[in-house]
Amino acid sequence: MNHRVITCILCPNGCELEVGWDGEPTTQSVEVLGNLCAKGISYALDELTHPERTLTTSIRVRGGVQRLASVKTVSPIPREAVVAARELLQPMVLNAPVAIGQVVVEDVARTGVQVIVTRAVASQSDPEQS
Amino acid sequence: MPRLERPTDQPIPGGGSMFDIVLIGAGVVGSAIARVLSQYRCTVAVIEKESDVGMAASSRNSGVIHAGINYAPDSLRARFCMQGRKLLLTWCDELNVPYKVCGKLIVAPSEEEVPGLRRLRSTGEANGVPGLAIIGPNEITELQPGIKAVAALHVPSSGIVSPYAMTLAMAEEAAVNGVTFLLECEATQIRPVDGGYAVDTDRGTVSGRWVINSAGIHAGHLAQTIDPEAPDLYPCVGEYLILDKQVGESLAMSVYPAPPVGGAGLGVHITPTTEGNVLLGPSDEYVSDPETTSCAGKTADQLLEEAMIMWPALPRHLVIGAYAGIRAKRTSPSVGGFGDFLIRQTPSADRVVHLIGIESPGLTAAPAIADYVVHEILHANEPLVQKPLSEVVHRPWSTRFDDLPEEEKERLVAKDPNYGDIICRCEGVTKHELLHALNNPLGVKTLTGIKYRCRATMGRCSGGYCLPRMVEILQEEHGWEPDDFVLRGPSSPAFAGRLIEERHD
Amino acid sequence: MTEQIREFDVAVIGGGPAGLAAAAAAASQGAQVALIDRNSQLGGILNQCIHDGFGLHAFGEVLTGPEFADRYVRRATDAGVFLQSNTLVTSLAPSGEIICSRYGQRKQLRAKAIVLAMGCRERTRGMIRIPGYRPAGVYTAGTAQWLTNLANVRIGRRVVILGSGDIGLIMARRLTWEGAEVIAVIEKLPYPSGLPRNINQCLLDYEIPLHLSHSVTCIHGKDRVERVTVSRFDETGTPVAGSEFDLVCDTLLLSVGLIPENELSRRAGVVLDRTTSGATVGASYMTNVPGIFSCGNVLHIHDLADWAAEEGERAGASAAKYAEGIHGDAVVEESIPIRAGDGIRYVIPQRVSRSTDQVLMSFRVTEPRGKTTIRAISGKAMIGSTQLNKAHPATMVQLRIQIEDLAGPVEVTCS
Ligand SMILES: Cc1cc2nc3c(=O)[nH]c(=O)nc-3n(C[C@H](O)[C@H](O)[C@H](O)COP(=O)(O)OP(=O)(O)OC[C@H]3O[C@@H](n4cnc5c(N)ncnc54)[C@H](O)[C@@H]3O)c2cc1C
Ligand SMILES: Cc1cc2nc3c(=O)[nH]c(=O)nc-3n(C[C@H](O)[C@H](O)[C@H](O)COP(=O)(O)OP(=O)(O)OC[C@H]3O[C@@H](n4cnc5c(N)ncnc54)[C@H](O)[C@@H]3O)c2cc1C
Ligand code: SF4
Repeated sequence: MNHRVITCILCPNGCELEVGWDGEPTTQSVEVLGNLCAKGISYALDELTHPERTLTTSIRVRGGVQRLASVKTVSPIPREAVVAARELLQPMVLNAPVAIGQVVVEDVARTGVQVIVTRAVASQSDPEQS
Repeated sequence: MPRLERPTDQPIPGGGSMFDIVLIGAGVVGSAIARVLSQYRCTVAVIEKESDVGMAASSRNSGVIHAGINYAPDSLRARFCMQGRKLLLTWCDELNVPYKVCGKLIVAPSEEEVPGLRRLRSTGEANGVPGLAIIGPNEITELQPGIKAVAALHVPSSGIVSPYAMTLAMAEEAAVNGVTFLLECEATQIRPVDGGYAVDTDRGTVSGRWVINSAGIHAGHLAQTIDPEAPDLYPCVGEYLILDKQVGESLAMSVYPAPPVGGAGLGVHITPTTEGNVLLGPSDEYVSDPETTSCAGKTADQLLEEAMIMWPALPRHLVIGAYAGIRAKRTSPSVGGFGDFLIRQTPSADRVVHLIGIESPGLTAAPAIADYVVHEILHANEPLVQKPLSEVVHRPWSTRFDDLPEEEKERLVAKDPNYGDIICRCEGVTKHELLHALNNPLGVKTLTGIKYRCRATMGRCSGGYCLPRMVEILQEEHGWEPDDFVLRGPSSPAFAGRLIEERHD
Repeated sequence: MTEQIREFDVAVIGGGPAGLAAAAAAASQGAQVALIDRNSQLGGILNQCIHDGFGLHAFGEVLTGPEFADRYVRRATDAGVFLQSNTLVTSLAPSGEIICSRYGQRKQLRAKAIVLAMGCRERTRGMIRIPGYRPAGVYTAGTAQWLTNLANVRIGRRVVILGSGDIGLIMARRLTWEGAEVIAVIEKLPYPSGLPRNINQCLLDYEIPLHLSHSVTCIHGKDRVERVTVSRFDETGTPVAGSEFDLVCDTLLLSVGLIPENELSRRAGVVLDRTTSGATVGASYMTNVPGIFSCGNVLHIHDLADWAAEEGERAGASAAKYAEGIHGDAVVEESIPIRAGDGIRYVIPQRVSRSTDQVLMSFRVTEPRGKTTIRAISGKAMIGSTQLNKAHPATMVQLRIQIEDLAGPVEVTCS
């Protein structure tokens, strides 16, 4: 029996999951203790097979009242793709105004996941919006 | 994007040009001399190794205007303290520098220290200090509640002054009146040349017919480059804790212990600042590095402990900062105590004047020292010609917006909208004051320089709110790049460039 | 210039989640509400918190800080709140008069009820008295977060983080993503003070070492940070001789605690709690000064913006009622005290009026523990309890109790 302790990151409860499994970890083989909700079980399995994380970072804005807009992947992407995704986004520049929810990249680092803006940046020529 | 101008962009006035007077060191003493000289028709250059004036002992002390009770009656310290105190108050009024004659208590926690108070009183009386009185616990409580002592010497003529405001105000006024300040320029040697003396620096040579060495802790060894008999100086560090303004609300005057016998300082005292904070300190410890500004954790605990003997209910959780200053002592660690100020004309070169061992009360004494050097040494030797009053520009230190009455604030906001934009919540600093600070005649653009000029980043949050606001204003409205933000000078960059490269588009 | 004094039912000072939620709640009860914030963008600290992890409780979704803030800005706007950004409140009188200052304008306004929602500031190096030099390169984590996420400034390349608070952990990951090297996180306590999920996703993912029971005992470098000395601390909180080691770095971030921003409150006569550094309040979040309410981080430090916003809603609703003349809290003297007992650091509210029928208490334990029973006791009677699988000082706990025939002061304990 394999055994690992994993802290669930899906909510602030941060349950300490006691995970046990035989052979390959699968829905059937994995046993989870310490989870306060069902999401903890699928999180544990994901963590053993293909851990995923959300990337939140910044992108340059041209002509905005601020220099940077914040962005995120709309859903978690494979953990090992996070740094590559960041590198792909780094040279990008958006033109102000930038709106919350605006799609920046349709499919970042071939993960099939969108990157969207999370903070609006008004354009310098439109001081009304703040 | 154009780079911000740096002091080193200004070339050293080279060639055959010779100043009438070259001053080395722009502490409170050098700046006071520069201010006096700026009222005469003469050419003056001030060489200062730091990126701003007053960065050494002159901004790292207690800020106490001493009354003159600690110095032997025939000493230079007594003479310049008594004369300096009077001049200082006049200069503060002229320059609009904050000060307060709040008095001082020197307390005896037990009967043992009472004879010490009597000794101080008689020294003070011999020096002509007015109003000295030894008082009992009830009167102590009346003057300053919360102090635990059996007796105290009340010194009503003692006071407090903002030491960096004093130094900066004098230097800035001197600068607008024609004194040349060469910042980030370190003197390494003084030597005779035809018609005067050359001061070699890391940026070239500056020559003058007179050289005045007021290089603080470095005055001794700098003097020795031309005057081998000049004495050594011993660095002795004094550490302080700064307490929140909340504490200042309940401290009316400085509280000192009876001075420790043979100690290198006056003992750990509690003193209000003109801005309303409270200082605890200084410690005294001889060190080898004359530039150290490091504070030890143990010392901080010790300062609190010693201060709490006098003020048991001191709110120790309200410490917001710490700093350390170097005393330029003439007495070695094995001797201890205090030496006297030394004003020495080099025997083989009497137009090279050294000011050595200007430790406490050097801040109080500075105007008198300046007056003495300019009038009794320079002027007595070759008469200086006074500029007509109409030619002397008056440059007062700015009153803080936060200290003004509401109607006056409204008037100013109507005049310049930037007065309405408060960029530092702890100290109530306005954007107008920030821009005014940046527009100083010395061309100083360091964060510390801004701090001393307008108090942004000086409050309890240490810049948590105002540093971002300053970065925002300077980046967005004044085109500063990350590399333009330096703490004290070019070797203390605040940042490491851009996070994400910005191609200039 | 001062214009004519404007009158409102409720004025909210601070436009973070707590203030926005308070303003929206008050306005939706029909009150005329003004909200004043000094920043150009409403949302408070959340605008710089570009990471995700917000909103699960309030919206059932995972949001980033700016997205979460945006929802509350819209709520307040839709509720008809008069929103005034770029405006700093410089003084507050117990009578409800406020002076504010903005570019080109000093301004007074008056309100029947005031909600304090000014958030917090960070503990600084000076406050924790780290020995050594004072070079460039020492920043509080929140300031570093602002500089990084809003000013596009790189604060340094080799970073040591002192304190394992959540902001420090979030910054460890953020700076790693941006190409800086995070050498270590140093924590004086024997356990991390941030949430376990942040230890996992911010440190473990990037193999950043966490040194528990250690602290920085000297900062080296006269001009810019060159290295820090780290020492181990024993159970009594003293450094262990010989345990020192140096870490070469150019930057030291401090994530060593937050302090409610109560200067305005203090000067208005609001009594502060020594433990929380926030106001002492009754069940309706009213302070000792009638008509002045407090919520969010200015009342006590919250780990979750969701809780701060919820608290704001409750305080805003009480303030609107107060403005209508309905007073939920009795004067301090006639209230029943609520106290933190064994194992509990503090409890909000600190008192409850006899006329209240129930009260929601928010509190924290003093140290991490496993299975825990929380009990509320009055006299000898147990008036409420709850079971927790584990309890951590980083996580706020809530318990609702009924107030009927209380024998005396309420005490909350854990075992
Ligand atoms: C801990 C402490 C507490 C004190 N408390 C008080 C008090 O309460 N009241 C009071 O009256 N006095 C007090 N003093 C004394 C007072 O602060 C000093 O006497 C005064 O500041 C000395 O001024 P200065 O200009 O001679 O020296 P400094 O301020 O040290 O100035 C010397 C300047 O010379 C520059 N410099 C040095 N070498 C060179 C070089 N080679 N080339 C170019 N520039 C150079 C330095 O950078 C510096 O700016 C205190 C002193 C200390 C240390
Ligand atoms: C750096 C940081 C990171 C955090 N990360 C997370 C996280 O990942 N997840 C999570 O759930 N929670 C997080 N939190 C906690 C959460 O963000 C806070 O609990 C929440 O923002 C508190 O809301 P608030 O409205 O009380 O204060 P704030 O958001 O701080 O808002 C206070 C507002 O009041 C304004 N203000 C203050 N004084 C005045 C004045 N005199 N005049 C006018 N305006 C004034 C301020 O500018 C500010 O806009 C974090 C907190 C911090 C500090
Ligand atoms: S298991 Fe469920 S409750 Fe526990 S941390 Fe994960 S998501 Fe939250």
